[in-house]
Amino acid sequence: MVKENLVKDVVKEPYKYGFVTDIETEKIEKGLNEDIIKLISQKKEEPKFLLDFRLKAFKKWQKMKEPDWASLGYKKIDYQDIIYYSAPKQKEKISSLDEVDPKLLETFDKLGIPLTEQKKLSNVAVDAVFDSVSIATTFREELAEHGVIFCSISEAVKNHADLIEKYLGTVVPASDNYFAALNSAVFSDGSFVYIPKGVNCPMDLSSYFRINSGDSGQFERTLIIAEESSSVSYLEGCTAPMFDTNTLHAAVVELIALDDASIKYSTVQNWYAGDEEGIGGIFNFVTKRGKCLGKRSKISWSQVETGSAITWKYPSCLLLGEESVGEFYSVALTNNLQQADTGTKMIHIGPKTKSTIVSKGISAGNSKNSYRGLVKMGTKAKGSRNYSQCDSMLIGDQASANTFPYIKSQQPNSEIEHEASTCRISEDQLFYLQSRGIEFEESVSMMVSGFCRDVFNQLPMEFAAEADKLLALKLEGSVG
Amino acid sequence: MQSKMKESDPILEVENLSASTDNLPILKGVSLTVYPGEIHAIMGRNGCGKSTLSKIIAGHPSYNITKGDIKFLGENINSLEPEERAQSGIFLGFQYPIEIPGVSNLEFLRVSTNARRKFLNKEELDTFDFEELVKKKLEIVKMDHAFLSRSVNQGFSGGEKKRNEILQMALLEPKIAILDETDSGLDIDALRIVASGIKKISNTQTGIILITHYQRLLDEIEPNFVHVMADGKIIKTGGSDLALELEKKGYEWTDNFVKET
Amino acid sequence: MEIIEKIKKNKLVKNQTEIQKICLDKLQTSPLPNPKSELWRLSNKSKFSNFLDYSFNEKDGRFDTPYPKNSQNTIRLIIGENCDIQLIGKNYSIEQLSEYELHKYIKEQISCFDQNENWSDLLNLSLSCKKNILGLKINGSKIPPIEIFSHASSDSLNAKTLVIFLEKNCDIELLQVNLGKDNSSLSQSTFFFLEENSSLNHGVVSYGKKESNLLNSLNVIQQKNSEYNLGSLHFKFNYARFEINIKQSEGNAKTNIKGMQITKKDEQISTYTKINFYGPNGFLDQINKSLADDKSHAIFEGSIIVPKIAQKTDASQLSRNLLLSDLAQIDTKPQLEIIADDVQCKHGATISQLNEEELFYMRTRGITLAEANKLQLSSYFQEIISFIPISKDRWDLLDKLLNEN
Repeated sequence: MVKENLVKDVVKEPYKYGFVTDIETEKIEKGLNEDIIKLISQKKEEPKFLLDFRLKAFKKWQKMKEPDWASLGYKKIDYQDIIYYSAPKQKEKISSLDEVDPKLLETFDKLGIPLTEQKKLSNVAVDAVFDSVSIATTFREELAEHGVIFCSISEAVKNHADLIEKYLGTVVPASDNYFAALNSAVFSDGSFVYIPKGVNCPMDLSSYFRINSGDSGQFERTLIIAEESSSVSYLEGCTAPMFDTNTLHAAVVELIALDDASIKYSTVQNWYAGDEEGIGGIFNFVTKRGKCLGKRSKISWSQVETGSAITWKYPSCLLLGEESVGEFYSVALTNNLQQADTGTKMIHIGPKTKSTIVSKGISAGNSKNSYRGLVKMGTKAKGSRNYSQCDSMLIGDQASANTFPYIKSQQPNSEIEHEASTCRISEDQLFYLQSRGIEFEESVSMMVSGFCRDVFNQLPMEFAAEADKLLALKLEGSVG
Repeated sequence: MQSKMKESDPILEVENLSASTDNLPILKGVSLTVYPGEIHAIMGRNGCGKSTLSKIIAGHPSYNITKGDIKFLGENINSLEPEERAQSGIFLGFQYPIEIPGVSNLEFLRVSTNARRKFLNKEELDTFDFEELVKKKLEIVKMDHAFLSRSVNQGFSGGEKKRNEILQMALLEPKIAILDETDSGLDIDALRIVASGIKKISNTQTGIILITHYQRLLDEIEPNFVHVMADGKIIKTGGSDLALELEKKGYEWTDNFVKET
Repeated sequence: MEIIEKIKKNKLVKNQTEIQKICLDKLQTSPLPNPKSELWRLSNKSKFSNFLDYSFNEKDGRFDTPYPKNSQNTIRLIIGENCDIQLIGKNYSIEQLSEYELHKYIKEQISCFDQNENWSDLLNLSLSCKKNILGLKINGSKIPPIEIFSHASSDSLNAKTLVIFLEKNCDIELLQVNLGKDNSSLSQSTFFFLEENSSLNHGVVSYGKKESNLLNSLNVIQQKNSEYNLGSLHFKFNYARFEINIKQSEGNAKTNIKGMQITKKDEQISTYTKINFYGPNGFLDQINKSLADDKSHAIFEGSIIVPKIAQKTDASQLSRNLLLSDLAQIDTKPQLEIIADDVQCKHGATISQLNEEELFYMRTRGITLAEANKLQLSSYFQEIISFIPISKDRWDLLDKLLNEN
C-alpha cells in the first residue's frame, strides 16, 4: 500500500508550462457563423478559393453530428462560446525577428524553444505558433538555399497559392469527420513544408504550438509535401497554460509523399491535462493522415502523448503507391482523469505495401487509455503485410486499458498479424531492480521507459531524451 | 576427372539457365550436367545464387526462368509442378526445413512416399506396411521412432531437422538429390551421421549435388566435381582439389575470376 | 419481414405464455436491432431480412439424424419431440425443470437483456412455444454423453430453446447439433447455468443445406470452480450468427473455447463472443478460426471484459483466419477492456492464406497441391474438431469438412 501511494505521487509532478503570457491580443467575438469565417479569411488576406473552401466546409460541418464514442465521456462543447481567432498584437509587417514582441520571444524561451539568432537551436528549424498565428520561423534562408519551403501556412497561402490549392484537403477532405470539417472552416495558422525533388532536408523541421488564450480554440493546419526522392523529419511540440475551463484544439495534419519520398513526423504532445479532479485541460481532437502516393514512399508517425484532458487522435496512412510503407509508433500516458483514445488506420490499397504498428499505452490514476486501430487490406493489396503490437501497462487498480483493433482483409495474398498484451510492473521486477541498489522511483521509471523503448527508438535524438524525461516526470509517484 | 559412366545418359542437364524473382535477375546463365554416379559440389559466397539454383531445379513458384532449360532424364521439366518433379525423382534437401505445425511427420512421410511409389508403379503402402519400411530407414539416420509422432519438423533441433531431410531422401529414393547446406548447423557427430546416410542412399545410378560453404562435408563425401558460383554464374569448375584450394585461399581468391569473366 | 410486422401488431403467436408476452412487449417498441451497433454493423442486411422472411412455424417437418451410428451409451434428445424425460441412473439424475423453475430462471435472464446484445434471444423466446423449450436439471456423475438436436423445417422459421442447470459437482459431456433444412431459418437459444464445481464439455455443430439460416445464441453463467469447455463448428449456412455470452459470476472459474466457422459461395457466418469476469482468478483460453472461400464473408468479434474486481484474471484470445479467395473477405475484431491491474490478458489475430513455403516443401516431397492443401486444412481443422466431444468413429467431422461439398 505504501508503494501504491509512492507510485501515485510520481505522477503528480506539477505542469511546468502552465504560465500565461500577459500580452495584448486581438480577438474577434465569440461564436461561429459565415460572417466569422469571412472575417477570419479577410484578416488573413486570403484568395477566394480558400474562402470558398472554408465556407463549403462550414456548410458540411453544420450538417454533421459530433462523434459519439463509447469510450470517451466529456461535457458537451458549446461551439458558440469559443473565440475562433486570437492573435498577439504586433506591428503590421515584421521584417525580422528583432521586431517580434520580446514578451513572445521570452515565452518561447521559457518553453525551451529560443528563437533569437544568438540562442536558436543549432540543428533544428522552428516555426513558432502562438494562439492563432505563426510568429517566427528560424533558418529560413538556409533552407531556401536547398529549395525547401518552411513557413506558416498563412504565408504559404500568399506566396505558394498553387501548391495550397493543389494539395489542401486532398488527404483529409473537409467532410472527413466533424472536427476536420470544423478545422477546415476556421483554421488559423500552422506550418507548411515543401521538399523539392531529390532533396534530403538538411535539418530537422519543427513546429511549436502554444495556446495562450483561455477562451479561444486552436485550429492549426499543417501540410507537408515531399516530392520524388526527397526526405524530411518533422517534429511537433505543444503546451498550454493552466485554465480551469476546457480549451478545444482541433488540428488537421496532411502529409503527401511521392515516389521514393519519405516523411517522418514526430509529436510530443504535452497540452495541459487538467488538474487531479479533472477540471480544465485541453480537448485534443486531431485528424492526422498521410498519403503514400508514390511508389516506395514512406510515412512514419511517432508520437508521445502525455497531455490533454481528452485525446482523440488516429495518425493514419493511406498506402496507395506500390511498395509504400506506413509506420505508427505511439506512447500514450494517461493519469488522473485523463482520457486518451488513440491509434491508427493503415489502409493498404496498392500492392506490396507494408505497415507496422507499435502502440504502448500506460494508464495510471482514474484514467482511461484506449487503442483503436484499423488495418485494412483492399482487393488490390497483393503481397502486402501488416504487423501490429499493442501493449498496455496498468498502474493502480482504478485505471482502465482498452484495445479495439479492427482488422479487415479482402486480399488472400496478404498477411496481417496483431498481438496485444496487458501487464503491470511486477513486484518481482521492482524487487530485482531495488536489490541491485536502484531507488524505487528510478526503478519504476526504468521499467516504464523500458516498456516504451521500441517507440522511443523511433524518435529523433533530442526528442527521445525529452520524452523519456517527460514520462518520468508525469509518472513520479504513481506505481505500486 | 573423367566420369566412368560417361557412356550413359545424363540425369540432369542445366543449360544456360537464367532466372529472376520479382524482376530481379538471380541466375545469369548457369550450365551443369550430372551423370549417374557423380557427386557435384557447388560452392560460393552467400547470395551467389547457389540456393536459388536448387530451388529452381525443384520448381519453386517464386522464381521465373527467363532463359535456358532444365532437363531431367532427357526431358525438359521447365514447366513441371514441384510435386511432379519430386515424384519423378528429384529431391531437394532444404537448408532450413519448414516446420508444419499440426501435420504429423508419419502421415507426411507416408503420403509423400506413396506419391513417389505410385509414380514408379509400385504398390502404395498402408499405415502398417509403411511403419515397417520407415523403421528400417530410421536406422540409416539413427533417429528415434518418437520423431514420427511429432509435427513435421516442429520443435526439432537443427540436427534433427537435417536428419529428417535425409530420412525423406531414403524413403523417396530419388534419381538426383540436391542437398542445400545440409551440413550447416551440425556438430561433428551429426555431420558424420548425415554424411554416412547420404553415402548409403546414393549408388552408381543416382546423382548428388552438394551445395555448401565449407570443406568439412566434402571431407566426408568426396565430390567428383567442384563448381564455384559467383553473381549467378559458375565461374570455375574443377576436381575435389579445387575445394581444398578454396578453403586455403578464401573466396577473395575467386573474386579475381569474376573480374576476368 | 412479415414477422416484424406481426410483432409490431402483437399478432405473432396465439395463446402467449407469460415469457412470450414479456419478450414481445420488449420487442414491440423497437422490433429490430440497431444496424449501426457494433454487433450488427457488418451483418448482411438482405441476408438478415431473408432470415425473417420465412413464416413462423411451431411444428417440425420430417427429420433425419445426421449420423446413423446410434450408441446405446448416449442419451439422445430432440427438441420439440421428446422433451418429457426423467432419467435416474445409479449415480445421476436427469429431470425436466418444473414450469416454475424454468419461468423464474428465464425471467431473471430477460431482466438483464440488452436490446441489441440479446435481440436473438428476445426473438427466440417470443417464438418458442412450450413444446419447443427443453429445460433440464442434471445432477451426479458418470452420466452418459448427451446429444441434443435442434432442427429447422423447410420453408419456415422455427425457434427452439434449451435451458440446462448443472447442479453442484456434476460433470457432463453434451453435444448440441443444429441442423438447417433447404430454405429454412432456425432460431436456437441456449442457457446453461453451471453451479459450483460442475463441469461441462460442450460441443456445438451447426450445419445447413441449401439456403439455410441460423441465429444461434449461447448464454453461460459459471459459478466458482466450474469449468466450461466449448468446441464449436458452423458451416454451410447462407447466413448464420453465433453469439456467445459467458459470465463468470464470481470469477475463479475456467473457460476454454475453440470455435470455427467455414464460409463458401456467398455465405456469411459470424461469431460474436463476450466474456465477462465478475470476480478474481478467472481463466479464459479462446481460439476462433475462420476460413473464407469463394465470395463469402466471415466475421469474428470478441470482447473480454475485466473489471476492477477481477484481479488475477488470466485471459487469452486468438483469432486465426484463412482467406482463400480474391473475392472473399474476413473481418476480425478481438477486444480487451481492462480495469484491474494485476491481470494477464493477451490477444492476437492473423489473417493470411495457407502458408506457401509449407506447400512448396510438401510438393517437393511429391505431394500434390490438392493433397498438400488438404493436409494443411486438416491440421487447421483438427485443433478445433478434437475439442468437440464426439468420437471420430461415430461421426467423422474432419472427413465431412474435407470431402463433402
